[in-house]
Amino acid sequence: MSDDQISLPYFAAILIILGFIVRYLFFNGGGASPAQSPRSPEALLRARETAVERIQQMFPQTDRRTILWDLHRNGMNIQNTTERILAGRLETPPITFQPPAPPPPSTTSASSSAALRKVEKPSQPDLITRYNLTNRITSPTATDETVNIDHKTKAWSSNRDERQASLQKRREDMILAARRKMEAKLAKGKST
Amino acid sequence: MAQSTAQRRLLQEYRALTNNPPEGITAGPVSEDDILHWECLIQGPEDTPFEGGVFPAELKFPKDYPLAPPSMKFLVDLWHPNVYPSGLVCISILHPPGDDPNHYELAAERWSPIQSVEKILISVMSMLAEPNDESPANVEAAKMWRDHRDEYERKVRDSVLKMLGL
Repeated sequence: MSDDQISLPYFAAILIILGFIVRYLFFNGGGASPAQSPRSPEALLRARETAVERIQQMFPQTDRRTILWDLHRNGMNIQNTTERILAGRLETPPITFQPPAPPPPSTTSASSSAALRKVEKPSQPDLITRYNLTNRITSPTATDETVNIDHKTKAWSSNRDERQASLQKRREDMILAARRKMEAKLAKGKST
Repeated sequence: MAQSTAQRRLLQEYRALTNNPPEGITAGPVSEDDILHWECLIQGPEDTPFEGGVFPAELKFPKDYPLAPPSMKFLVDLWHPNVYPSGLVCISILHPPGDDPNHYELAAERWSPIQSVEKILISVMSMLAEPNDESPANVEAAKMWRDHRDEYERKVRDSVLKMLGL
């Protein structure tokens, strides 16, 4: 009874899929030729870095070199590597495998590249810098203004740009309000 | 082109969060061109060292949302036992449905399509207040939280001030 459960077409389909997988793996393992991919070496490098970064986010304990080795062997497939890490089937790379160093960042300074190598983030700018709020801190009149507009901007607008602007504004107001509150608290703490 | 389920659902959630925002939470897509990428702000809960702070985080939704959960990552350094040094948040509601192979979490605590962005953000807020020190994401922070609570709270308060530019 149970032998009849796998029908012939089903079996054939499995065979075909298996065939494709084997071909795919062989193709990637056999020739890491640049001709295979139309992308530029820079784009490939970048893709590889993002892949490593994404995997390291999920598995911070996994060695960069090991991830690169696995990615290299399976043709940059993040999902396959993830599955292998989860299953604990990740292989240790041979000593001869020397992964290329992380590429130097194109725009950021050298300090952030050092931080990148340690898989640590450079310390971020504060929220005021991040959301460009420096101007709005210095103008104290903004306080009353924001409170009034608040009610109007809260509702959902059918216009996409208005929605975007309103969201942006609510974000900024939230940060500024938090800062004002904290400032007041600090001032109070000092006076007592 | 018809909108996908994920797009429709996210737009609906965005709308609900705009009209009826939960206390201390602002959330929405970075740009509506890509509704699968959100940025949100979470206020630090009161009576915790995070009080007074505002913490930006990004949410990335999979194409098959709401079947699969989004991932959430803080965009600032956050010293917390359940937040990886990369900023990635580790809580049960963000874990795929089904039972935890390690049996730490109940299936009901994990992601399911009946959860929502709002529920995630509220869970993260309460996570800030009450870290879960089983299976910590940031072992150093977890140790400090457990053994040197004063130091942990001071560190968090300092980072809150620094973040507000004070």
